[in-house]
Amino acid sequence: MKEIILWLFGLEEEALSDPTTVAGIIASFVVIAACLAVFITLIVKGRYKINRFGNKVWQRTKLITQGTWFILTNSFMVGWFKGTIYQGKLKYMCVPGMNCYSCPGAWGACPIGAMQAIFDEFDATKSWYDPETHTLVQPPLYWVAFYIIGFIMIVGALCGRFICGLLCPFGWVQDLLYKIPVKKLKLPRDERRINASKHPGAVRFFLGLDRALRYFKYAFLVIMVIFLPLIVSANPWFCKYVCPSGMLIGGIPLMSMNESLAAQAASLTLLKMSILVSLLVISVFLYRPFCRYICPLGALYSLFNPISLYKYGIDDSKCNRCKGCHACANACPMGIDPVKTPNNPECIRCGTCNATCPQKAIHSGFKFKTADGSAIRTRKNKNN
Amino acid sequence: MKTESKFLRYGIPVIVLLIGAGFMIYGATDGEAFAVLKKAVAICMECIGLG
Ligand code: SF4
Ligand code: SF4
Ligand code: SF4
Repeated sequence: MKEIILWLFGLEEEALSDPTTVAGIIASFVVIAACLAVFITLIVKGRYKINRFGNKVWQRTKLITQGTWFILTNSFMVGWFKGTIYQGKLKYMCVPGMNCYSCPGAWGACPIGAMQAIFDEFDATKSWYDPETHTLVQPPLYWVAFYIIGFIMIVGALCGRFICGLLCPFGWVQDLLYKIPVKKLKLPRDERRINASKHPGAVRFFLGLDRALRYFKYAFLVIMVIFLPLIVSANPWFCKYVCPSGMLIGGIPLMSMNESLAAQAASLTLLKMSILVSLLVISVFLYRPFCRYICPLGALYSLFNPISLYKYGIDDSKCNRCKGCHACANACPMGIDPVKTPNNPECIRCGTCNATCPQKAIHSGFKFKTADGSAIRTRKNKNN
Repeated sequence: MKTESKFLRYGIPVIVLLIGAGFMIYGATDGEAFAVLKKAVAICMECIGLG
């Protein structure tokens, strides 16, 4: 038993003579048990039947789920107590969300950090010295990160951006900030249907900007996560110059608990802090700015939304769109019209439309049928 | 009403899933998983804004 615990926690036998470490181990088990109890309670109470209790209850369920998942996947309490990180074998595996592996409590690796770590490996046997530039040229060892691409394909094929809606810590933080009751920057529903003559120029400008900026996340993926680490220099470029999640759940707790780390803060720290703070402030007014415009992991998962096993679907026989209902499109925080594109790449599977629909016409899951047994529409409908 | 064929609805994701599993196994045996572990068990100075 002792060996299993030591292996699981990535600790040596001597570590058990330290009372803080022992307290951390016990606390980890307590926290994990509490998190599992929360999930079981929500399942037993039927809270995951999204449209059963209405949107208010669903939003609460969603936030509790996101928070509990964050706590569960970051419940290595030894790290939180001692200002260190987990060093055991579970870190061979990735967690599905944007969860920095330098968070003191993290049990798993972040897929985006892990992908860059693979690209940063170099082939020492093929390294050579370039006398012209006086640099050591180190060709990458791996040109394709099969291990991480495979992981993302599995998660994506199972559930697409469901991870964004319910199982990502940084998504949760942005959701919490958006709860702050101030006037929101809400763009009119379904940008493609906007009638130019009915909307003032400023609205059209912001809609166009929003639409264009959404492609930036693919650029961040290609440039900062793939191209720069592979071609320019062996550095985790996205982690180093952009990622606010690393700063929030890794940098801030580690530096506040560890004086020697805090003493090393420099201009890079300031840059990353500024990015983090700006994104957090914008999140109060605009729903999930990081997920919309920057996140390379969301960009990857978005590619799987149209083909994943877990899908959204519309029961057109119940939907009141023909009577002018737009309750779902108006409620969607990502500005999507689910009746038109139920599996839009931008959809984070947050369930809001599903919980809002007065007709219970929106379905989500692996398999669904209408009341008369026919299949539910999962594809686009241009006529709506 | 447009509905997906069984192949599109279930066949494609299952194929993607299997290819993904194959990629993961290949990457793990090729040393990629170890590269991930090596990076993840040390505090990543770049991630926390010190690197
Ligand atoms: S887009 Fe990125 S940060 Fe946002 S929820 Fe998805 S994985 Fe997390
Ligand atoms: S809220 Fe329901 S009924 Fe109304 S348009 Fe959307 S899916 Fe149709
Ligand atoms: S379409 Fe529905 S599930 Fe998707 S983001 Fe909008 S409200 Fe959430």
